[in-house]
Amino acid sequence: MSNIMDSLYNMRLLDDLARQDTVIHKLHPLVKLLATVSYLTVVVSFGRYDIGGILPLVIYPVMVFTLAELPVKPIVLRILLVSPFIIGIGILNPFFDKQIFVLGDREISRGWVTFLSILLKSGLTVTAALLLIATTGMDRLGSALRMLKIPRIFVLQLLLTYRYISVLMEEVARTLRAYSLRAPKQKGVHRSAWGSLAGQLLLRTFDRAQRIYEAMCLRGFAGEYNTGGFGKLRIGDWVYLAVWFLFFITVRFYNIPMLIGSLITGVIR
Amino acid sequence: MSHHKLEVKDLHYNYPDGHEAVKGMSFCIHHGESVGIIGANGAGKSTLLMLLMGVLFPSEGEVSVGDVHVTKKTLPMIRQRLGMVFQDPDDQLFMNTVYDDVAFGPRNYKLDENEVEKRVLQALELVGILHLKDRAPFKLSGGEKRAAAIASVLSMQPDILVMDEPTAALDPKSRRRVMDLLGSFKHTKIVTSHDIDMIYGMCDRTIVIKKGEIAADGATSEILVNAELMEACGLEVPLALQNCPVCGTQK
Ligand SMILES: Nc1ncnc2c1ncn2[C@@H]1O[C@H](COP(=O)(O)OP(=O)(O)OP(=O)(O)O)[C@@H](O)[C@H]1O
Ligand SMILES: [Mg+2]
Repeated sequence: MSNIMDSLYNMRLLDDLARQDTVIHKLHPLVKLLATVSYLTVVVSFGRYDIGGILPLVIYPVMVFTLAELPVKPIVLRILLVSPFIIGIGILNPFFDKQIFVLGDREISRGWVTFLSILLKSGLTVTAALLLIATTGMDRLGSALRMLKIPRIFVLQLLLTYRYISVLMEEVARTLRAYSLRAPKQKGVHRSAWGSLAGQLLLRTFDRAQRIYEAMCLRGFAGEYNTGGFGKLRIGDWVYLAVWFLFFITVRFYNIPMLIGSLITGVIR
Repeated sequence: MSHHKLEVKDLHYNYPDGHEAVKGMSFCIHHGESVGIIGANGAGKSTLLMLLMGVLFPSEGEVSVGDVHVTKKTLPMIRQRLGMVFQDPDDQLFMNTVYDDVAFGPRNYKLDENEVEKRVLQALELVGILHLKDRAPFKLSGGEKRAAAIASVLSMQPDILVMDEPTAALDPKSRRRVMDLLGSFKHTKIVTSHDIDMIYGMCDRTIVIKKGEIAADGATSEILVNAELMEACGLEVPLALQNCPVCGTQK
């Protein structure tokens, strides 16, 4: 029970973090969105066997983490939350792709290499997405999407789904609390109550979502989710964007670890 | 000013499950009146307010604000003039911070951000929760949530203020503050409450509802002292009018 309450509080953690006031948080949401999208594109564009090339891209999340003064643990926890799915997707590779890949004097199956690259890529993309939300906040992200002329129905869908998750979670937490208080000796919910509990929950969340929607309409909601305007892009925003673009392009077209490696070996020789 | 008049004619409402919650109510509320709506639990007070706001549509009869009927088409215009505080503040607060929640209404009317900020701070100040403006609404206490919900409606500066049990769950001081606040609101206000003493102190006119019908409608000073009527509708005469239990003074 208490962990449901905890995860509820945690769920809104990203929103709480988004309200901080650091260098990164002050940037224009549009800039952060564009930087993240280009980052994702670059990460995904690397080939299956190209682990070395991706490595420098780790710098991006590390930089954002530091500059935005985000706590590492809760965000890493969230990344781990999706890792079972990723492992599930990648785990078969080592069994199917048994070709040998020679690294120095060692032999590695290519399957493991692809597995590792899937793990790395998805880890980086998920991190980047979480960082975007934690530094911008869902509402402002929505406005940034609108500035990019994404149709408002899609943006609205996204924002309301995000809201609805917290409504659902709150309802779950309340129901479970009521249940556990009247069934103190049980651990979890007894099988016999699952059906009615789940049904109740569904109906109640429908009901609440409906009433919240009505409350929104009463306050003049007409399909556009207004979150207050932003100013124009400032020089700092442009610089931020330009620096990352440059970095991503460099990483994409030059294999930096290889360059450094050959530089060092060159010096040694 | 006739455009703030609110008129209800022979209103009926059945819930989808067939429950008849409102059975033929008619009344007219003029500009500047403060009307208390009282009645036992389940009498149909909240349903009536929903009908006034156009959240529900009557199965029979009609509601008009000014001289405009409340229909789907006229709804946006009507809602700009009416502000409603829900019975359950959780239904009303859904943004990430109290500030954003209070700003939600003004922003929807496309006010510029300076004006929005002015109104938000003013509304928060009025209900006395300026210090909570950056908190997340779901982390507030029940009474704080209610104050935030009230602020979120005040920021829209409505002509007619509709409140469903505004003082429930408030501590005595906050209750007093809400009452003063309502007292200072010069436009029309419609308040339901089980806090009979509040109605007694605040509303000039009272409508008593019993099982979906109007049992009485008239001056508060006459209705609330009518012990027989109050008893029949599951209510009590306000404490202020009852005999003193300590010294036994007769009123
Ligand atoms: N969604 C619904 N579906 C069916 N019946 C409903 C629904 N909501 C309320 N009712 C019924 O309509 C009647 C009036 O309800 P309403 O909420 O208006 O009462 P109320 O006067 O506001 O009571 P309270 O003082 O307890 O808030 C009640 O008998 C209730 O059971
Ligand atoms: Mg009610």
